[in-house]
Amino acid sequence: MNAQKKYGMSIDVDRCTGCGSCMVACAVENNIPPAHAGANDRNGLTWIRVYKVDNGEDYPGKRSAFIPVLCQQCGEHTPCASVCPQQAVDVDPRTGIVGQMPERCLGCRYCMAACPYHARYFNWWDPRWPAGMEKTLNPDVAPRMRGVVEKCNFCHGRWHAAKQKAAAAGKSEIEPGDYVPACVEACPTGAIRFGDLNDPSNDLRHPDSFRLLKKLGTDPKIYYRSKRDWVRNVAQASRPVSSQKEASHG
Amino acid sequence: MTHYIFFGAFYTVIAVVAATLIAAVLRSRRALVSACQVDRIRWNSEFHDLPQRDRVCRHVLTGEFKSRECPHAFDCRECETHARLIEKHPLAPAGEPEEDLFGMQFPLDRFYHRGHTWAHLEPDGTMSVGLDDLGRRLLGVPDAVELPQPGTRVHANSPAFRVRKRDADVRVLSPVDGEVLETGGPGRPWYLRVRPESLDLTHLLRGSEIRPWLMREMERLQLALSLESAGATLADGGVPVADIAASYPDADWDAVCGEMFL
Amino acid sequence: MANNLIARGLKRCSTRRFLLWIAPWAALLAFGLYSAGLCLVEGLNQTNMDNRFAFGLWIFLDLTVIALGAGAFFTGFLLYILKVDELRAVINSAVVIGLVCYSGAVAVLMVDVGQPLRAWFTFWYPNVHSMLTEVTFCITCYLTVLFIEYLPIVLKNRKLREIPTFLVFEFELHKLIYVLAGVGTFLSFFHQGSLGGLYGVLRGRPFAFREGLAVWPSTFFLFIISAAAVGPSFVLLTTWLVEKISRKPLVRPAVLELLGRISGLLLAVYVLAKTVDTLVWINRTSPESGFPAAQYYSWRPFGTWILFAEIVLFGLVPALIMLTPRLRAHTGWLVSAAAMACCGVALNRFVQTIQTLALPTLSFDKFLSYYPSWQEVGTFLAVVAYGALVYSFSFRYFQLFPEERERYQI
Repeated sequence: MNAQKKYGMSIDVDRCTGCGSCMVACAVENNIPPAHAGANDRNGLTWIRVYKVDNGEDYPGKRSAFIPVLCQQCGEHTPCASVCPQQAVDVDPRTGIVGQMPERCLGCRYCMAACPYHARYFNWWDPRWPAGMEKTLNPDVAPRMRGVVEKCNFCHGRWHAAKQKAAAAGKSEIEPGDYVPACVEACPTGAIRFGDLNDPSNDLRHPDSFRLLKKLGTDPKIYYRSKRDWVRNVAQASRPVSSQKEASHG
Repeated sequence: MTHYIFFGAFYTVIAVVAATLIAAVLRSRRALVSACQVDRIRWNSEFHDLPQRDRVCRHVLTGEFKSRECPHAFDCRECETHARLIEKHPLAPAGEPEEDLFGMQFPLDRFYHRGHTWAHLEPDGTMSVGLDDLGRRLLGVPDAVELPQPGTRVHANSPAFRVRKRDADVRVLSPVDGEVLETGGPGRPWYLRVRPESLDLTHLLRGSEIRPWLMREMERLQLALSLESAGATLADGGVPVADIAASYPDADWDAVCGEMFL
Repeated sequence: MANNLIARGLKRCSTRRFLLWIAPWAALLAFGLYSAGLCLVEGLNQTNMDNRFAFGLWIFLDLTVIALGAGAFFTGFLLYILKVDELRAVINSAVVIGLVCYSGAVAVLMVDVGQPLRAWFTFWYPNVHSMLTEVTFCITCYLTVLFIEYLPIVLKNRKLREIPTFLVFEFELHKLIYVLAGVGTFLSFFHQGSLGGLYGVLRGRPFAFREGLAVWPSTFFLFIISAAAVGPSFVLLTTWLVEKISRKPLVRPAVLELLGRISGLLLAVYVLAKTVDTLVWINRTSPESGFPAAQYYSWRPFGTWILFAEIVLFGLVPALIMLTPRLRAHTGWLVSAAAMACCGVALNRFVQTIQTLALPTLSFDKFLSYYPSWQEVGTFLAVVAYGALVYSFSFRYFQLFPEERERYQI
């Protein structure tokens, strides 16, 4: 049997420019229909939502940062997995990746209500590609139909490809360089890094890093880091920042 | 573990619900085989739909009880309380040969059913069955009568024949069990001649019971009429006319008859 | 002809008037079915829900309607298991209300899910740890039980009982009805609870998350008590409404008072339990997981007033009214208190579903808001119209209130 992997990510908020390359690369890789201009949470679909945060001060003291939020691949009490009535969500013990089976999904959206990160997405519309663009579809990933939920699975198609490549070479383990999600590849500033959290040679779990809503006890596998205090404060505040603002104003 | 509890509970539930349904189906199939059983069930179900005050024991009518609901659906043949009470105070024998009650004829040689029919033992051992005087006046000259074929079996408290009058379609309950020999009708003194199954007529009203029963029936009629036709009532102490329906053209006759024929 | 369908000894309005009453409801139903059809054919993009507000009006109203329909199981439980014989006067009506509420809720749920044809997957691949699995199993079973309980009421129709098969089956089934009442109680107990658990287990929504006993969070038990409390209130309210609309007394006033007393008693227990639960959650559950409870009430429309309204105004006040014999004897007070109790449970379900989703969990997230689209409202109106129609037909052609024939005494 293979050694158990625990794939995770490290996102350097200080390097993120909010360009959205990760979102586009993700959509292309995973056969997510292209969003039109001005798409929102009701009529667009993306597996990564990039939040813009600021330090709450006015010009000239104002500072902004971007926090990309994708599925945090919770390892413990995975909120979405335990609520699914028909086992369409599972946590793969070999990789620690939270998988979603759109073929079995009923579209009840209970998992979406359960996810504290809003990292799950529902196909409100039929997936549509502009004429000609269907030729760019990735043959390794099945498109999803209307009425089911989907989310980031660390580019599962790529994991399969890497597995096959390793098997063809007679190896039981994936070479670390063979399995890299599309967003990691696409990030122009190298803000996103990916690897096996069980592997001590990478420093994904740098002591300076933090995780979103770690206090919920769900063991998320996306580690964020920032050298700026205010970013760390905003991302880990015990109460939502805008409510503090509202409270101080009101 | 959780799986076993979860599925155990739900399969049990499904099994219980299915078993209940199957039991009901099997029991009804058994009951459906005999017409007698069906008639019994029909009367039982109709009896329990009667308003509570119409389900009173006959011994309430005579004042022996203050209030008591009949536990046997008006079949006193199986009632121990009735047997005991009759033993203690035998019913007063018929006084005059024919009694005139509220201007109606209720001959005392007959046995009366609470659905306004009577049974009369003929010298040849057969029984004649007919509508009592109040029943006759309620239906007046019927629009149509539906009588059973000779040879049909009728059961006490079960429909014997049907009479249609205006908007009312009345099923009249048989006072006795037996086989229909001959049919009469509105123009004749009786509706049915029956070969009785037994001569036990303890479930029928007789003698001194008739007057208090009829008093109560007149009260019921008055209430039914006042409710079914706006404001109309029987004249106080008045005698019901031969065709009551004709006197109350606005009344919902189906409801009035439904009330009076149980 | 139609007259012969109406039970003997009961008075109903003319067919013409009945049709006039039915017409607007039928129109509403048609509009609602059109809305629901749009959602089924075009997809859920017809709603205003989005990827972050994934549950909306439908879930809130489903939970409310199912709580109001609890009168069916609770009245059945009191009548057939605890032998509170006075409730025989309303049991048929309660069963119809239950049937309408449950079937309506299930119908809306079928519109609400993205792939209704896959509903059977839950039975094939059940995840026994999910509250929704428990809900699905219990509601399907209980809906079946309700249909079977409704059957005798239908078969007792004047025309149908002429057919011996129906008559005898009704009779035999009614003899076993206490078994169904028992099963119904068991099922309702669990699914009212698991509907409460639905949100109570959400670790990711600290506003809704609760500690509890064994696998069930405290909301599991609160939902059971509140549904049992408000079920009789809703039966009381509908009975009163039907009496007003049909302009005839249907039950003895003592029956309504009894319903009020039962409702008041359970509501008082609920208010107590809810208060304890709220205090434990504010002082322990929420802060221990790193969320000071005060923040939940710092978002604009949802202040602490909502707690006050839920627990005191629509909880304690109606409970006290229904527990005070002098006020209870007064129909006006009794009916208002029952209506308040129903509003209270609706508000509780609103808080559980809508407020939970509106509040942000991520520290840099926004407060979310959502307004239902007309298709969503229309779909729900279909349930209301369907309920009114089923109840109207049942009231006209079946005997919902056995004591109605006793009217002469009243």
